[in-house]
Amino acid sequence: MNFRKASFASVMALTLGMSFNSFAVEEGDDAPGFILPAIQEGQPDISMEALEGKTVYVDFWASWCAPCLKSLPLYNEMYHKYKDQGLEIIAINVDNPVEDGLDFLIDTPLDFLIPSDPDGETAELFKVIGMPTSYLVTPDGKVELVHMGFRNGDMEIIEEAIEKILAAN
Amino acid sequence: MKLIRTLLFCTLSISMLAACTQVRPWERGLLAKEEMAWRTNALEGALNDHIFFSKEASSGGSSAAAGGCGCN
Repeated sequence: MNFRKASFASVMALTLGMSFNSFAVEEGDDAPGFILPAIQEGQPDISMEALEGKTVYVDFWASWCAPCLKSLPLYNEMYHKYKDQGLEIIAINVDNPVEDGLDFLIDTPLDFLIPSDPDGETAELFKVIGMPTSYLVTPDGKVELVHMGFRNGDMEIIEEAIEKILAAN
Repeated sequence: MKLIRTLLFCTLSISMLAACTQVRPWERGLLAKEEMAWRTNALEGALNDHIFFSKEASSGGSSAAAGGCGCN
């Protein structure tokens, strides 16, 4: 009997240990605060706190993630479309080594904020569930939309959510 | 004696949990590299998949790369 109980306890411990995704940041949660260095040397650090009161689109990307690379130029267009209305985009690069991310940016210059998180500390804070994952954060710091992956037609969903927040603030 | 064996089993089981770790989505840069693919020849892989599908009426499970979103 003890043996069965011990087996059960071990399986439960294993299951709990593997239930990583259950703590991921979800819609309605407070967005975690962070401060990260900019990917380009000499640029000031980038923090969520500095953008308090703004609508912020936080995106996690890497140079090895094909849908990320497809989405970033479209996010750049989106940034120019809505920046005057108060939208900020923070595209957190998780490349390790960082140079891989910088190589991509040489060919595809982006105008929004790009911090570097090679150790994945901020990705761990958000408990990112896949690459890419993005979080739309309202001016009061709540996560309005969590968007994973990037497929055709996703820009409409994202822009609709952004427009809704911008119109309300 | 039985108690000692039970305790020993629990301790060993729990110590083995140290090896159970998930590769986080943002840590899959190495797995996403071309040289980490199960099959280095895409054409041969596609042919094998086709044969497997025609024999088994199922497909998939032949790769472990990408970022976890299932979209690349």
